[in-house]
Amino acid sequence: MTVHIDFDSSWQDEFLKRIEDDGPWGNWELYKLALEVENHTIIPEFEGLQAPKHLPNLTPLPHQLEVAKQVVESMNGKAILADEVGLGKTIEAGLILKEYMIRGLVKKVLILVPASLVSQWAMELNSKFFIPAVAQRKSYVWEQCDVVVSSIDTAKRNPHRDIIYSLDYDLIIIDEAHKLKNNKTKNYEFVQNLKKKFCLLLTATPIQNRISEIFNLVSLLKPGHLGNETAFYESYKKDSRSLNGDEHLKELVNKVMIRNRRADTGIEWTKRHVDTIPIEFSQAERELYEAVTELRGEGDWVSSSQFSVMTLQREACSSREAVYFTLQNMLKRKEEPSQAFKEQIQYLVSKVEAVQQNSKAQKALELIQKINDKVIIFTEYRATQMYLQWFLKQHSITSVPFRGGFKRGKKDWMRELFQKNAQVLIATEAGGEGINLQFCNHIINFDLPWNPMRLEQRIGRIHRLGQEKDVMIYNFATKDTVEEHVLKLLYEKIHLFEKVIGDLDDILTRLEFGSIDDHLVDIFGKSSSEGEMRIKMENLTSMIQFAEDMKEGGLNAATGNS
Amino acid sequence: MQQQEIHKFLERYFHANGCEIVDKGSGYMTVQLTIELDKELMNRPFYWHYLEKTGGIPNPMQLTLITNQQAAPDHIKGEVIHFGSPRLHQIFESARNLAGYIRLYENHSSPRGQQTPLRPWLGMNVRISYQCDRKRDVFKSIGLQLINGQMVEDFHDKLLGMNLTPKIPDYSFTLSPLIMPKSGVSRVANILKMGIEQEEHTWADDARMRWQKDLNLLEHFYEDAEEKGESYETEKTALKEQYEPKINISIINGGLFYLTDSAV
Repeated sequence: MTVHIDFDSSWQDEFLKRIEDDGPWGNWELYKLALEVENHTIIPEFEGLQAPKHLPNLTPLPHQLEVAKQVVESMNGKAILADEVGLGKTIEAGLILKEYMIRGLVKKVLILVPASLVSQWAMELNSKFFIPAVAQRKSYVWEQCDVVVSSIDTAKRNPHRDIIYSLDYDLIIIDEAHKLKNNKTKNYEFVQNLKKKFCLLLTATPIQNRISEIFNLVSLLKPGHLGNETAFYESYKKDSRSLNGDEHLKELVNKVMIRNRRADTGIEWTKRHVDTIPIEFSQAERELYEAVTELRGEGDWVSSSQFSVMTLQREACSSREAVYFTLQNMLKRKEEPSQAFKEQIQYLVSKVEAVQQNSKAQKALELIQKINDKVIIFTEYRATQMYLQWFLKQHSITSVPFRGGFKRGKKDWMRELFQKNAQVLIATEAGGEGINLQFCNHIINFDLPWNPMRLEQRIGRIHRLGQEKDVMIYNFATKDTVEEHVLKLLYEKIHLFEKVIGDLDDILTRLEFGSIDDHLVDIFGKSSSEGEMRIKMENLTSMIQFAEDMKEGGLNAATGNS
Repeated sequence: MQQQEIHKFLERYFHANGCEIVDKGSGYMTVQLTIELDKELMNRPFYWHYLEKTGGIPNPMQLTLITNQQAAPDHIKGEVIHFGSPRLHQIFESARNLAGYIRLYENHSSPRGQQTPLRPWLGMNVRISYQCDRKRDVFKSIGLQLINGQMVEDFHDKLLGMNLTPKIPDYSFTLSPLIMPKSGVSRVANILKMGIEQEEHTWADDARMRWQKDLNLLEHFYEDAEEKGESYETEKTALKEQYEPKINISIINGGLFYLTDSAV
């Protein structure tokens, strides 16, 4: 078959004009230099990577180079990069981007990342890769700059949306792409309608719990790769645990997804030390917790607010401020609250007021003083965050807050403040994602999220490449509360903290049993007795352990050790 | 490109542009830019605009480039230049822009008093890019004699062995071309195209196969949909842009060369 050949005629036009005008003519030395340049910049082979030659300040790790090569040579420039947290997906994406730019296959690039990472991406591309990436701050940037970094939330809104759709992007990079697992969301639709000539989706948690998530993600990248929706769910949903089916699916997914694990990279990782610190409630705190727990028996609450009870219990383990905040909200949200309801709230508020100290905060303070180094405290609740900041200040410990809701500039600034001026960073869940804090090696989990993947992401902020010290993780668990149950009966039993993210990921996928959150809500919310709850927890734990064993069994079989 | 080569390259580039190297030592150089080169490299149009409006005294910048950080003395502050650095690529680009068209004469050493005829040649240096979702380039240097139509390859290498000058040497006269430059360019283009058509293009066949495969998947994905909608069309266009094999011939530089009979 013939290939279309295009001959650039613009040179000829100018050449003829110069003959007509009798010049101007170029300098022979420069003419020769231009051809020497050509000699150095020409790329005679389809295969191989040019980028490393251009990046003297960067020494990519072998697995990163391998990824870049594979994406360019065998995945045709469309891939899900799903290395475990901290293996340098940004470096991999940068290498691929650079390679395409050097080869002249890519000029216009759109990079969509969480708002907190926009500046960091732009900075890294500039400093490590010499790619003139610009953080989108003004709307003219879209058209005037070739490489633009933006948050997806900005990009999907007009006027940006229309401008972006009107531009011809050669490469689209999406960081934290696991957020696009639901194909009913606006973000998904926005990305689906983008023209993706080359496309990289970056995620550390490609498959959480549902097979539909991987289908949606792959279909975004390469529609039809996993079949169409009907066909896919026919073959996988019904029979999702059949190993053969899984193997086939895995093989298909692996054609578009690369996943390196820490263990495979051969890099020496610093260790993780996990320390569970039991917290003893004070009398008043215990009473508040019990009062909240008793709500489950109250008729008015059970039907509608099972979740609220659970939330309140967890909040009571965090701080009285968190409970108070939720109570106020409940009162506000209820239209025409009954007298009984008001009294109930009032009763709880009195319990809140009775609490004079926060045992966890006290413990945290001791710990921080003992550590005498930078510490990150994670909490799920904003009220706790604010309280902690105040509390630490009372004891002359400098701290900065960090939240997902912060504007980009503020996030960068907070990170900077933490690195240079403050001892403690207090982050809420949303703030946990997407900032790199490897200059710190102590984490206090002031309270625990119920999604274990989120925990791993917290730890991943500091236990990543570039971390030189062993990482210390302190888990606070209040005795005889839901918190302790989750920690002792689930997280510790499945060795959550020692394992790396990929394993857990695999296990949860293998189970196919829905999100852990849902299970926990069910267990704590619906169990009528302590005994029932324990049994249910044990069931959940053994299911996870079973899946773990299955995985190991599979490995053994593969290596012939079975 | 080794750091040594880069250093030499830069010296030659600035020298060719009439810039004085005011200071140099191992691993670095400081260059006094000319007005033209300041405008070319320093990206400060407002300054020059302002100066022209106010009639001030132009003050082109000095530029210090470090080609070897280890060798350069510590007190030298400047831009570190390596193969991937934007500044070097800007200079590469500039070298291409500044010397896209040339006219040279062979500075022959024929006996005095004897008039020597110089034959016109069209020289063109081209880059042929084979592109699908990947890309490779081939460099070709073609010379076409504009009287008898003789065509030679590696023309530039031949020129490098000659003594060339921008002014017509004494006791020389140029022969008028029988082939006009315009049709000369088309001849070169056609020859290049013919050559390319004779090549094996398995790379293109492979790319088309990859393309078709993804296209089939796409069709399958939208099989059940009654309205395929915009996203389907977008995806289809994207696949075309990703895989469609094409070959681009672009001209790096070229020009007219007046050479003696025996030169080529």
